[in-house]
Amino acid sequence: MELVSVASATPTSTEVTAAASGRTRAVGAIMIAIGLFTGLVFAMGASSAAHSGLTFNPVNLSNAPWHVGDLTVVTRWVNAVIALLMVVLGLEVIIRSPRRAVMVRFGVVAVLFLFALLFWVVRTPGPSPVPVINFTAVLIGSSEVAMVLIFGALSGVMCERSGVVNIAIEGQFIGGAFIGTMLASTTHSFIFAAVGGAAIGGLLGLLLAFLSLRYLSDQIIVGVVLVTMIGSFSSYLNLQVFTPFPQFNTGTLAPNLAIPLISKIPIIGPVFFDQSGFFYFMLILVGVVSFALFKTRYGLHVRAVGEHPRAAATVGINVVRVRYINVVLGGAIAGVGGVAFMASQGQFQPGYTSGLGYIALAAMIFGRWRPSGAVVASVLFGLSVYLSQNLQTYNVPVSTYILNMFPYIITIAVVSGLIGRVRAPAADGIPYHRE
Amino acid sequence: MRLELRGITKRFGSFTANDQISITVEPGQIHCLLGENGAGKSTLMNVLFGLLHPDEGEILINGDAVKFENSGEAVRRGIGMVHQHFMLVPVFTVTENVVLGFEPTKSINRVDYKKATDDIRRVSKEFNLDVDPDAVVENLPVGLQQRVEILKSLSHDAELLILDEPTAVLTPQEIDALMNIMRSLAEAGKSILFITHKLKEVKAVADVITIIRQGRVVGTAQPTDTEGELASLMVGRDVNLTVEKSTFTPGEEVFEIRDLVVRDDRGLIAVNGVSLDVRAGEILALAGVQGNGQTELVEAIAGMRHVESGTITLRGRDITNESPRQVLDAGLGHIPEDRHRDGLVLSMSVADNLVLNTPRRTPFARHGSRNLTAVRQNAEQLVKEFDIRTTSIFEDASSLSGGNQQKVIVARELSRPLEFLMASQPTRGLDVGSIEYVHKQIVDHRNKGNAALIVSSELDEVLALGDRIAVMYAGKISGIVDPSTSREAIGLLMTGTTSEVARA
Repeated sequence: MELVSVASATPTSTEVTAAASGRTRAVGAIMIAIGLFTGLVFAMGASSAAHSGLTFNPVNLSNAPWHVGDLTVVTRWVNAVIALLMVVLGLEVIIRSPRRAVMVRFGVVAVLFLFALLFWVVRTPGPSPVPVINFTAVLIGSSEVAMVLIFGALSGVMCERSGVVNIAIEGQFIGGAFIGTMLASTTHSFIFAAVGGAAIGGLLGLLLAFLSLRYLSDQIIVGVVLVTMIGSFSSYLNLQVFTPFPQFNTGTLAPNLAIPLISKIPIIGPVFFDQSGFFYFMLILVGVVSFALFKTRYGLHVRAVGEHPRAAATVGINVVRVRYINVVLGGAIAGVGGVAFMASQGQFQPGYTSGLGYIALAAMIFGRWRPSGAVVASVLFGLSVYLSQNLQTYNVPVSTYILNMFPYIITIAVVSGLIGRVRAPAADGIPYHRE
Repeated sequence: MRLELRGITKRFGSFTANDQISITVEPGQIHCLLGENGAGKSTLMNVLFGLLHPDEGEILINGDAVKFENSGEAVRRGIGMVHQHFMLVPVFTVTENVVLGFEPTKSINRVDYKKATDDIRRVSKEFNLDVDPDAVVENLPVGLQQRVEILKSLSHDAELLILDEPTAVLTPQEIDALMNIMRSLAEAGKSILFITHKLKEVKAVADVITIIRQGRVVGTAQPTDTEGELASLMVGRDVNLTVEKSTFTPGEEVFEIRDLVVRDDRGLIAVNGVSLDVRAGEILALAGVQGNGQTELVEAIAGMRHVESGTITLRGRDITNESPRQVLDAGLGHIPEDRHRDGLVLSMSVADNLVLNTPRRTPFARHGSRNLTAVRQNAEQLVKEFDIRTTSIFEDASSLSGGNQQKVIVARELSRPLEFLMASQPTRGLDVGSIEYVHKQIVDHRNKGNAALIVSSELDEVLALGDRIAVMYAGKISGIVDPSTSREAIGLLMTGTTSEVARA
C-alpha cells in the first residue's frame, strides 16, 4: 500500500538548528565578555608588581606524607592567562557551535572567574608575599558545600521529574540537621542520624505530596509554607530543648574515612578520597538516581508522569502513586543532605542553612534536571558559596553579599534563556486532576 | 474481537451523558459512531476505555462481561484508543512512547530498548505504518504522531481500536492515508470503533453506522445513505448543508497585508512573507492544516503579536504593531480561535462579556465609571437579536454551552460598526445548528458589502464561505484559488505542492 507523504507542520530542522546556534553564540559572547572583564579588572587592575601566593598543604597533615611546594605567581599574568583561556573557550563556542556540553564550558568559565577573583583578592604588593591561599583547603571546603547542594539538587530532580516542585528542600535540610544532631549526640552514630534525617525529610515530603496531590494546592505555596514553618519550629525547639539540654546538640563532625593509598595522592587525594561517609554516599546516590531515572522502567514511568501525566494514566500508570513515591524519596534525600550539612558543621544552629536549599534548587535548574548536570552546577555554586563565606578573612574589597548573589544571577541567566535553553518537565508544578 | 455494550448509562449529577446505549462491534468491522459535539460520544468511549465508570449497563468482550478499573486494564483486554489529543510524551522517542506501561525488561528493572525497538519495527512493517522507532515524537508531523498512537495500540496487542475524531488535525491526503490504514487493519481482523461528526468520512470507510444524539442511540444507517439523511438523523431535523450567498460583487480594497513576517512563541519564523488583500463584499477564506502559521498571522493582525517586518493596512491606515485596542478602534472585529482563552472572560457575566472590547466607550461608561443600565440594555437587546440561550444576562459566561458562548462573541463583534471582520476557526466544536447560525451571520455581514477574513482548518467551511480561498503552508501562501477548485487540488496546496495542477 502506497502511503501519501505527510505534510509537515513542524518547523524544519534547519530552522531549529539556526535558532539553537543563535543561542549558543550568545553563550559564547557572554563567555568572552566575562573573559574581557577578568582581563581588564583582575589582570590589568592588579599592579605589575603584585603577587599571589598559594600553598597546597592538606588540612590534615598527619594524613599527608607529601608536600607540594608553595607557589608564588604574578597576579597580573596569571589572571591574564585565565582571561585568555576564557576568551578562547568563548570563541570556540561561537565558531564551532558544539551541540553538547555548552553549559559545561560555561561552568568552566564561571569557575575560572571565581579563581581569578581569588588570585586578585589575595594579591600583595611586594614581590615576595606571604602565601595566603591554601588551595587544597579551598577545594575541600567547597566540596563540603557542593556535597550538601548535590543532595538538595538530587532531591529536586526526583520530585520535579515526576512533576512536583519541591521548593521545601531548605526546610528538609533544617529538619534533617535538627534530628541529625539529636541522634548523633545521643547515639554517637551518624548512620542513625542519617536514617533519622531521611525519615524527617521523607515525612515533610509526604506532607508536601499530600497537600499538593490530595488537595491540589499550589506546590510553590505549600513549599514556602513548609520552609517557613520548619524554620520557626526548629528555632522554637532549639530554645526549648537544646538550650536547657545542650547534651542533645553536641553533634560533632562526621569522621573522615580515608581510602587507603589513593587518599595519599597530592591535592586530589584529600579532596575526593579523604571525606566523610556522607560524601561517598552522595557519590553513590548520584549514580543510582541517574541510572534509575534513565535506564529503568521505573524511571521511564517517572519521566512520563512528569511530562504528560494523562498519557501515563492511559497506559495504566498510577500518576498519583508515582508522585507520592518520588516526593517522599526526594524529601528523604534532602533530609540526609541536612544531616550531612550538620555533620560538616558539628552542631545545629537555627537558620544556619542560610538558603542552601534554594541554591540547590538553582543547581538543579542549571543542571537541566539531570543528576550529572546537578553535580557540575553544585561544584560551581559550592565554590562560590565557600568563597563568599571565607573571603572576609582575606580582607576583600568586594562585599561578600555580592558574591552571595552569584548562584542566583547564574540561575536567572539560565531560566531566562540567556545561556542555552533549559526545559523543565512539561507537567512540573501542575496539579493532576483525575477525570 | 466482538465487543458488546449493553445499556450503558452515565450521569454527571443531574445530566445524563449516556442513556441506555447499546452497540455491538463485530470482528473485522469498522463501526462508526456518528454524533454531534456534545452528543455523548467521548463519554461513551471513556467508559469503554476504563477512564470513567458506568452507572448502569455492562461491557462484554467476546461474550464475557468485563469491568475496567482503569485504562491499563482495558488495554490488557485488547482495547486500544487513539485519543483526539494524542497521549504521547513529546520529548520521548517513538520507542519510549510505545513501550510506556508495557516495557520489556532486563535484569534490575532495566528497559530492554533493543527488544522494544525490534518489536516496533516488526509491527510498523506488518501494518505499513512506516514509523522510525528512534525519532523524537515532537519532531514528527501530526499525521505521523497519529500513526505512533495506532502503533502503540497495536504493539499492546489491541484487537479493538477506538479512533476518537482522528481526522480533525489532518490534511485531506493524510485523511486518505488514515482511511487506508483503517481498512487494512479491519482486513487483518481488528475491530474498529470510529468516532466522528464528519459525514464524508463516515460514508468513505464505515461498514456500520450508529448515530447518537443527546446521549441516546437514535438509529443506525448505511454508508450508502446520503449525507443529508445522515445529517438529519444526527441533528434531529432537516439540515441545510449549503450556505446561501448573494452574488459575488467585490468592491474596493479594504484590508491589505504585505510581506508579513511574524515569529512564534519559540522565536521561529511562523509567518514568512505573507501578502493578502480583502475587498468590500468579499469573504477571503484562509485554509490550511493547523500549525502552519495561521494562528500567528491572526494574532499579528489583531495586535496580539509583534510583527517582525511587513505592513498591515486597514482602510488605508497602517495598523502594523498597533495595540489591540488601537486595532479594534480602527474597526477590526475579531472572533478568536480559542474562545475560552481569548474570546471570553468565563467568570464574568454574559452582559459584561458583551461589552468586553468597548467598556470605556459611551454609552457603556461615562467619566471613567461604568453605566450599568446601558450595559444591561445592550445585553438584553443582543441576547434577543442573536438568540443567545441563557437563563439570565447576569449568568457567568462559563455556564453557557459552546454554541451560545460563540454567539456571545459573534454578537459582540457584529453589533458594533466594523470595517473588517476576522474570524478564526469560527465554528470549532459547535453543533450543526450553531454552525448554520454562525455561517449565516458571517455571510449576512458580507452580503451587506463588508469585508471578512475567515481562517479555518475545516475544508468544508472554507469551501462554503469563501469567495476566494487562500491556502497557507509552512508560513507561506501556497496558492489563492477559486471556491470551485477541487478538494484534491486544495488538499495538495495544503501540503505545500504548488504545481500547475493545483493552480488550475
